[in-house]
Amino acid sequence: MLITELKQKDDVLSLIKGKALVISCIGCKEVYFPVTEAEELHKELLAGGNVSAVITTDYICNPENLKLQLKKHMDKVEAAEILLVFSCGVGVQTVAELYPNKAVFAACDTYPLPGHQGITPLEPECDQCAECHLSDTAGICPITACSKGLLNGQCGGSKNGMCEVDKDMECGWERIYRRLEKLGLLDSLLYPAKIRNYIAIAGAGANASES
Amino acid sequence: MRITELFDRGEFVLTTEVGPPKGFHLDHLLHEVKEYLGDITAVNVTDNQSSVMRLGSLATCKAIKDIGVNSIFQITCRDRNRLALQSDLLSAAYFGIDNLLLLTGDYTTLGDTPQAKPVFDLDSVSLIHAVKQLESGIDLGGNELDGDPPKFAKGAVVSPCSDSVDVQLAKMERKVAAGAEYFQTQAVFEPEKFFEFMEKAKQFNVPVMLGVIILKNAGMANFMNNNIAGINVPPDIIEELKADPEKTKAGITGVEITARIIKECRDYCQGVHIMALGWEKLVPDLLRESNLVS
Amino acid sequence: MEDYTKFRLKHEDELLNLIENKDKLYIVACNKCFKEFTLEEEQEGYDMIKLALAQGKTIEGFELVNFLCNKPLTAKILESLAQTNAENVIVISCGLGIQTVADIVDKPTYAASDSISYEGRHGMALTKRLCEACGQCYLNLTGGICPIVDCAKSLVNGQCGGAKNGKCEVDNTKDCAWERIHDRLSAQNRLSVLTSQPVQLRDYSKVSFKFVNDYVKTLRKSRYEGFYGGIHPAERKELSEHIALTPFPAPATVVIPLSQHTGAPAEALVQAGDLVKRGQKIGDSAGYISSTIHSSVSGKVLAVEPRRHPTTGNDVMSVVIESDGKDELHESVVPWENYESRTAEEIADYVREKGIVGMGGAGFPTSVKLQPNKPIDTVLLNGSECEPLLTADHRVMLEFADDIIFGLQVLLKSVGAERGVIVIEDNKQDAIALFQDKTANIANIDIVVAKAQYPQGAEKMLIKRTLDRWVPSGGLPLDVGAIVSNVSTAKAISDAIQKGMPLIDRVVTVTGEKIKNPGNYIVKVGTSVNDLINHCGGFIDDDVEVKLGGPMMGVSIANYEVPIIKATNGVIAVEPIVSEADPCIRCGRCVDVCPMELLPLYYPLLAGEQKWEEMRDRAVRDCMECRCCDYICSSKIPIVEAIRFGKRSITEMERSQ
Repeated sequence: MLITELKQKDDVLSLIKGKALVISCIGCKEVYFPVTEAEELHKELLAGGNVSAVITTDYICNPENLKLQLKKHMDKVEAAEILLVFSCGVGVQTVAELYPNKAVFAACDTYPLPGHQGITPLEPECDQCAECHLSDTAGICPITACSKGLLNGQCGGSKNGMCEVDKDMECGWERIYRRLEKLGLLDSLLYPAKIRNYIAIAGAGANASES
Repeated sequence: MRITELFDRGEFVLTTEVGPPKGFHLDHLLHEVKEYLGDITAVNVTDNQSSVMRLGSLATCKAIKDIGVNSIFQITCRDRNRLALQSDLLSAAYFGIDNLLLLTGDYTTLGDTPQAKPVFDLDSVSLIHAVKQLESGIDLGGNELDGDPPKFAKGAVVSPCSDSVDVQLAKMERKVAAGAEYFQTQAVFEPEKFFEFMEKAKQFNVPVMLGVIILKNAGMANFMNNNIAGINVPPDIIEELKADPEKTKAGITGVEITARIIKECRDYCQGVHIMALGWEKLVPDLLRESNLVS
Repeated sequence: MEDYTKFRLKHEDELLNLIENKDKLYIVACNKCFKEFTLEEEQEGYDMIKLALAQGKTIEGFELVNFLCNKPLTAKILESLAQTNAENVIVISCGLGIQTVADIVDKPTYAASDSISYEGRHGMALTKRLCEACGQCYLNLTGGICPIVDCAKSLVNGQCGGAKNGKCEVDNTKDCAWERIHDRLSAQNRLSVLTSQPVQLRDYSKVSFKFVNDYVKTLRKSRYEGFYGGIHPAERKELSEHIALTPFPAPATVVIPLSQHTGAPAEALVQAGDLVKRGQKIGDSAGYISSTIHSSVSGKVLAVEPRRHPTTGNDVMSVVIESDGKDELHESVVPWENYESRTAEEIADYVREKGIVGMGGAGFPTSVKLQPNKPIDTVLLNGSECEPLLTADHRVMLEFADDIIFGLQVLLKSVGAERGVIVIEDNKQDAIALFQDKTANIANIDIVVAKAQYPQGAEKMLIKRTLDRWVPSGGLPLDVGAIVSNVSTAKAISDAIQKGMPLIDRVVTVTGEKIKNPGNYIVKVGTSVNDLINHCGGFIDDDVEVKLGGPMMGVSIANYEVPIIKATNGVIAVEPIVSEADPCIRCGRCVDVCPMELLPLYYPLLAGEQKWEEMRDRAVRDCMECRCCDYICSSKIPIVEAIRFGKRSITEMERSQ
């Protein structure tokens, strides 16, 4: 699950050095795309003269859907030298794959919602480490709930139960300890030193990258 | 010499922390070590402390060793993955640096290069485990080392006055289980809390060195109370610092306070670790006033 | 479609170890997401049960849950767990689901599965790893090929020395990304983009936990505010919200269907050749759930014959009247005297006689609502107008506030409720200010400002949001002590009592990007939609779809020669939506937005297999067809079409049984 943020306005404007068309995705619209800010920038781009139109549609990361949505705008696509895409990195690359002969530019930066791979951006988080530690940690993930992703307990950095990296965030290990304490399961912390096995996810990533 | 041998002999161990410079000139640091730290058992060198990039801890340890002073190599998990960490441990062994203090490390964004990639491939516990494994002649990849394995004194840290001391104790237990042989504490300003902590920590049967900081002024105390984990300077100490600004400025108040804490805690610990934070020149006074040297 | 599964059961030895000293197990498994959707259940939960039973363990319960990470729904499903003797909860899910359960159940919760990373795969791009979400998109420098994802070392300054024959040193089945970048930029004659760029250094502080965490917190806060689910599509109300109401020019003829409401069609009281006046009753209600019909013009009845109904698409008996242009009022149009001393029953009869039905869309006879068989404590007036584009209710609120308040007081009096609440969405600040002012000294009427969210105006959502009461499945608002009415309906009640005017005019928004001159009009019932479109200058171009109602729940029409009826709040001309359905990927978005807390993804599949009973069991009849699921579906599946088909088929099935 991703969040997109507009690039600096000047950076976006400086990309338009020829006839351009804007493709704006509102696919994951409910939660993660800055619709209002994007629309304002669209207006400015249109006023600039080089941008022929703004095509707003959803799910441009689905190439078939993208083709369908662009069908009736093909004249504008053909005429454009530059396709400026407002979307996450997936959408930009889908457009670039579809039009390898055009300069395809990204108007947004994409941030991960770490751990929010499920359907709703709720509190629980999962880093998909392929070696679930939750049984030892009262169901609170030490990788995502701890800024440093420590597997073996609290670092010395928390103050008043809050994280040294983000003082608005509770120390994950403090939460783990308190919940285990409440459940009478503190003994479950006596596991041998844990070390992450990055091969587990490197493998998954490499296989997964083949289309 | 491994300071664990001193603990084993029942000696009271004294260490002082020094921070390498931003730059590669060590003259000043070495001068201070020679001039003020003669009575110290070993000098403990920080590793890019507070995530601020500096000259390396290992090179500084080597330089200190070369002037005949025992050193402790601090090593954190923030900047190196397990390959680099193990490699640096072997480098240390080659230089004959055999005292280690093994930490997780501050987070990257707290320092002067927030753009850096935070590594944290290992953490303090797994780093201790890695050292122990190297000592058995096998690296973390399960491969055998050539020749005799290295041998280190494996130190770790703990915060006795932390607001979540039970969580700290749980971590301490894990560190001991992983192979930690001695502990150095976060600075203590509340002896009562330290006594309580030691009461619980004695079950682990490892030597603990009391951490102390020489306070420079009330502002520093307030800053630490607000920002530094595991430190709480009580109000009466802050008042004491405010009472006579000139005396405080000269370091006399700070040394008095610290010496008092050391004397109170002396019987509960196996050594003292002094964080002078630039006031290395006051270390001899402090040692005298604490009755640690005559 | 590729299995996009995110977790797998831990190895048997790990599981044996996990349950070794534990008994009284409660097993919760997730039915997985992001994979080809079939009706087959995921098997890991059953495997776990088998393994535990073989060890002589007691299983205190088992739940296979769809989208376990959906906390509000999962919490409801797991409510029963507290009543069991379970001591240990074993969860088979990705880490999200496990943590969700651990948060909910307050019992030791254990993971029996490992989650597998698919970093870089997002959106619909299920079969390709495409974006690592680095927060500093490099694609502008690299011809749209991502150096972070596609280069094994994530280099951002060009190729390493490791590629051989164009293949990556880490995985020689992969093309070197930097060669691809180079080739694409050369082909586009843009190689200088690459050669002229300064040294690139990744900024890892960009992906700041704080930024993301704050963001998620705000989302979370707004996500379930008031009611579960819902969406907030672009409002586009600015096209017409500031345009004042004007009476629509008198039509030459009107076509007035005798069926404009829920329930039995009215019975015609006139025949061809009759002269009628404006406000004269021309159709009588034909049952308890029915309504009267009145003429909106004065003139001559040309025919009583079947004509095309605007929304059902069927031909229904309609009265066709040629207007004489005089709009002479019928003698029955006089203020209702002594309203204050009337009984509830008399009010209900009067409202029925004046042909008043719900004007928010469904056309339910208001008189029926006025005779509840259960105690009512609150009357909710819906001024939320949550559909995008529509501004009819907004204008009515601004221009007829006193009438609305009068109408609400009538409603309160007739059902004996203590409190009236007018709910207005926060995108209508002017209406909010006006009503707050007008009701400041009225003790029993409150204004509730609600965050704009569709489908807020739906009765059940409005009740949940305002009163925090949940209308049970198959139930009505009166089951929880409330009735809901539209603001325009309240105004119609006021007109009926204060002027004697039956419901023969209504406010219609004519709008949409494709209409030349949007506006808000007071339109005589029976006026042709085509007249409205022409009056507003017609369409901008031919690529247009016309809907009666809003873009979400409105009905698409191809024949514009249909009349405006009592429940028509808008005529919108919008760009047609083109889509082709892909197979469902269990992304779960429909579940996330369904305000009725259903699992919409099941309905198209069940309808396809004609499993009507299972559809009924999965509460398809609770669906109010708000089309949130259609709107959000990442595979563009026409879910509501399947739901309607299913509802019809269930009714047929039940009839034949």
